[in-house]
Amino acid sequence: MLFKDQLQFVLQHMKKNKLRVTMTVLAAMIGCAFLIVLASIGFGIQHTLKSELLNDDAITQIELWGDETLAEEDVAYIEGIDHVNVVLNRAEINGMVKSSLDDRTGETNASIADMTAQNKLPSSLSEGRLPENANEIVVGYHYGQSLLNEADLAELERKSREAEEAGSYYDGSEEGYKDALLNKEVNIQLYDENTQEYMEPAAFTIVGILKEPSYDWYRDTSIQFSDSLLVSYPDLITYPSTTIYVDSMENVMPVLELLKEQNYQVYSQVEQLEELDLFFLIFKIGLVFIGTIAVLIASIGIFNTMTMAVTERTREIGVLKAIGASPSLIQRLFLMESTFIGLLGTGLAIIVSYAVSFAANAILPYVVSFAFSDEDLSSYDITFSLIPWSLVVIAGGISLAVAILSGLRPARNATKIEVIQALRQEL
Amino acid sequence: MITVDALHHTFSIGKKGHEKKVEVLKGISFHIERGEIIAIVGKSGSGKSTLLQIIAGFMKPDSGSILVNNTEIAGYNEKQSAAFRLDNFGFIFQNFQLLPAQTVFENIELPLKLKGVNRDLRAQKVTELLNKVGLTEVADHYPNELSGGQQQRVSIARAMITNPPIILADEPTGSLDSQTEQEILALIRKLNKEENLTFVIITHDEEVATISDRQFRMTDGVLVGGMSRVI
Repeated sequence: MLFKDQLQFVLQHMKKNKLRVTMTVLAAMIGCAFLIVLASIGFGIQHTLKSELLNDDAITQIELWGDETLAEEDVAYIEGIDHVNVVLNRAEINGMVKSSLDDRTGETNASIADMTAQNKLPSSLSEGRLPENANEIVVGYHYGQSLLNEADLAELERKSREAEEAGSYYDGSEEGYKDALLNKEVNIQLYDENTQEYMEPAAFTIVGILKEPSYDWYRDTSIQFSDSLLVSYPDLITYPSTTIYVDSMENVMPVLELLKEQNYQVYSQVEQLEELDLFFLIFKIGLVFIGTIAVLIASIGIFNTMTMAVTERTREIGVLKAIGASPSLIQRLFLMESTFIGLLGTGLAIIVSYAVSFAANAILPYVVSFAFSDEDLSSYDITFSLIPWSLVVIAGGISLAVAILSGLRPARNATKIEVIQALRQEL
Repeated sequence: MITVDALHHTFSIGKKGHEKKVEVLKGISFHIERGEIIAIVGKSGSGKSTLLQIIAGFMKPDSGSILVNNTEIAGYNEKQSAAFRLDNFGFIFQNFQLLPAQTVFENIELPLKLKGVNRDLRAQKVTELLNKVGLTEVADHYPNELSGGQQQRVSIARAMITNPPIILADEPTGSLDSQTEQEILALIRKLNKEENLTFVIITHDEEVATISDRQFRMTDGVLVGGMSRVI
């Protein structure tokens, strides 16, 4: 029998039982769509978290922990490793640093960085340059907000109280020093751990302003000194750390492994990314498993429909066999029918799933914002549901395979129908 | 053409464990030449339908041989039997066995579809045959819109569409009135003469047997006769 005749034969029968076939296709569609949408939540959450990590510059960085600043020979060794661009020694200064400008004062965090190494990195400044001597500093993008006078403090207190009464929070963005800070001289007092008092003020010139932080909520009021500061203040207590900058994300793991072999205490977000991938792989397998149960329930519908089709057509099968249809042809015709039901159900399920996914991503941020917080989540790049091609292929494959398997037994039963018994059946 | 030799067949009836063996065919042997009309006449339960079903390959005999054009078909499996039927046999049934959801045209072209004949050639052959059996005007009708005689003509056309050398007919006029019976018998005789087709007709009706070249009589699983018809 020609393939197009087989096709026509099957379609003719499906048309004849339109209602029953439609209901079965709907059941198959719902099962498959449930599977896709459920798994898409796993893909969506993973995508959101991964994007968050990948968008962070730190993804190509390796952090090296230690009690002391990395020795020069260590720096030289690490810099010699393939794909390592820069080794940057930094140190956080213990305690807060006081700074004053005119009638304004403020307390901020401060750190020291190897400016020679920092210079090799892409600029982290929004304006100005890096310090070239011990009396020059760069400050955070929001540094001005930390410099407050009496009037600012009173205003800040008032606004904070009002915001608290209204059940919200005031970030102090309207107060502080508003004029340009570049090339301004500020007096800075460092904390002396030995005397437990602040040292005498020293004048520093602001030569650069750091870039605005990528997170809206983060206020960067920090101060960065050149490492030559330690020459003037050798007793200053600092917490050193080293950041190793690798040329690309793919090369982070090999460098990391090599450093671990050399007993360096290192950490990278790429490790976290791999753990995240493993976690989500297991999570998604779990979701696909649950979704597959829905597909299996739908398969009972297909099994019933096909069993009914075989029972109803017993006499017809008998006639076909009597005039020379082979058992394999009979089996193929019924399998084609269940495959069609599976194909239609899967095809519709894919369309419906994309629509549901699109709607979920468009509506859920508003719903979640409304239900759990006052913050508008729609401005964040959160993906609640994501349907990659791999999911479509896996879910479609499962759905189609289940549909074919559901039709297999009825199709085999059809081939076992005896011609003589079948021809005795009345219409 | 067809040589049947020492064909035996037994049915088991009754509940499992208490089955009773009934021998329905007790060493049947006969030979049929090409172009003959053979009538196998017998009462109900004589075993004549079982004989036809075994020749057609719907069931396997317990023992014996069936040679069709020197091909032994008694040992064929289901797949081989189906392929052999498609090429060598046409079937006419008592209750026509047409597919109700298919038109007259579609019912007749069904064996051609099974053989994988293309659409144009099918249309040409079916049209020729519709003309030959006088059904051109009802080609697009469904079986339930036709009279018994017309339905049996469709059945005959379907049996002939692949030009099989042998037509097996099981009570071909059993569901028809006497006038229609005469028409169908005349058509069978005409096709036998014009197309040189071999007909094996199973019937309990002596009237039907009168159109045959030779008659066999089946009694309790034993076949007797085979004498030429006296014209």
